[in-house]
Amino acid sequence: MIVIREISDRNILDQFCEEFCAIVERHCQYIIVSGFLAIASGRTRGTEDIDMIIERINLEQWKIIFNELDKRGFICMQTSSFEEAYDYLKDNTSIRFTRKDKPLPEMEIKFAKDILDKYQLDNRLKIKLTGLDVWFSSVNVNIAFKEELLKSQKDLEDARHLRIVFNEDLNEEEIKKIKLMIKRFRL
Amino acid sequence: MNSRQSHINQIERWANFVRNNPTTWKKAHTQFINALFQKNEEVIQRILKTPHGKEKIIELYNIKNIEGYSWLK
Repeated sequence: MIVIREISDRNILDQFCEEFCAIVERHCQYIIVSGFLAIASGRTRGTEDIDMIIERINLEQWKIIFNELDKRGFICMQTSSFEEAYDYLKDNTSIRFTRKDKPLPEMEIKFAKDILDKYQLDNRLKIKLTGLDVWFSSVNVNIAFKEELLKSQKDLEDARHLRIVFNEDLNEEEIKKIKLMIKRFRL
Repeated sequence: MNSRQSHINQIERWANFVRNNPTTWKKAHTQFINALFQKNEEVIQRILKTPHGKEKIIELYNIKNIEGYSWLK
């Protein structure tokens, strides 16, 4: 399916996400996970943050990303020290970035922490319907997480939306497999 | 039909619209998302004009790196 879309269709979240991802992309593998995939695929709900998982990189690599983000107008909400921010990431705690002139939206970043995150990074993809040049974890993975782990009303509605919009592309076997992995490694 | 079922029906109707109209759903969606952030921005500006407005924003968004946000100093 080819989606032709004008640049002016980009909403505030889209623009924020693409600009941020373009910087991170130059230095490491990343994926956007969870709610933003549903929203970028048409779900009409608000969010304050976009969730990103990045591969575990060393301090020097992180310093380059942190400084480039700063140069391009993004700021870490917790600290101005790249070393302190790296300590958060190493401890599997997320760190949040915004534009310097606004508290919203936020990009919440975590290091990949287990085999499930590695699986998502290895199977990342760009999703035409979103019209965004951004790497997402797959629709199958997102549905599995929302139905098996997260399970809030909002998450189940996101999953329902994804199931309808991507109906022809779903792989129920993979969804089942990921749900089993979630039970084994996260529950 | 209860309100929960009605809400789910609405989600399904919109998801089907997105699926069947891949080139047209985005315009309305963009207006919706942008309106949320524009409203948020307006509220932030109003909060900043209230007593201790900056402190309220810092607490609301749990901002630790205050030095990084010149407009909050």
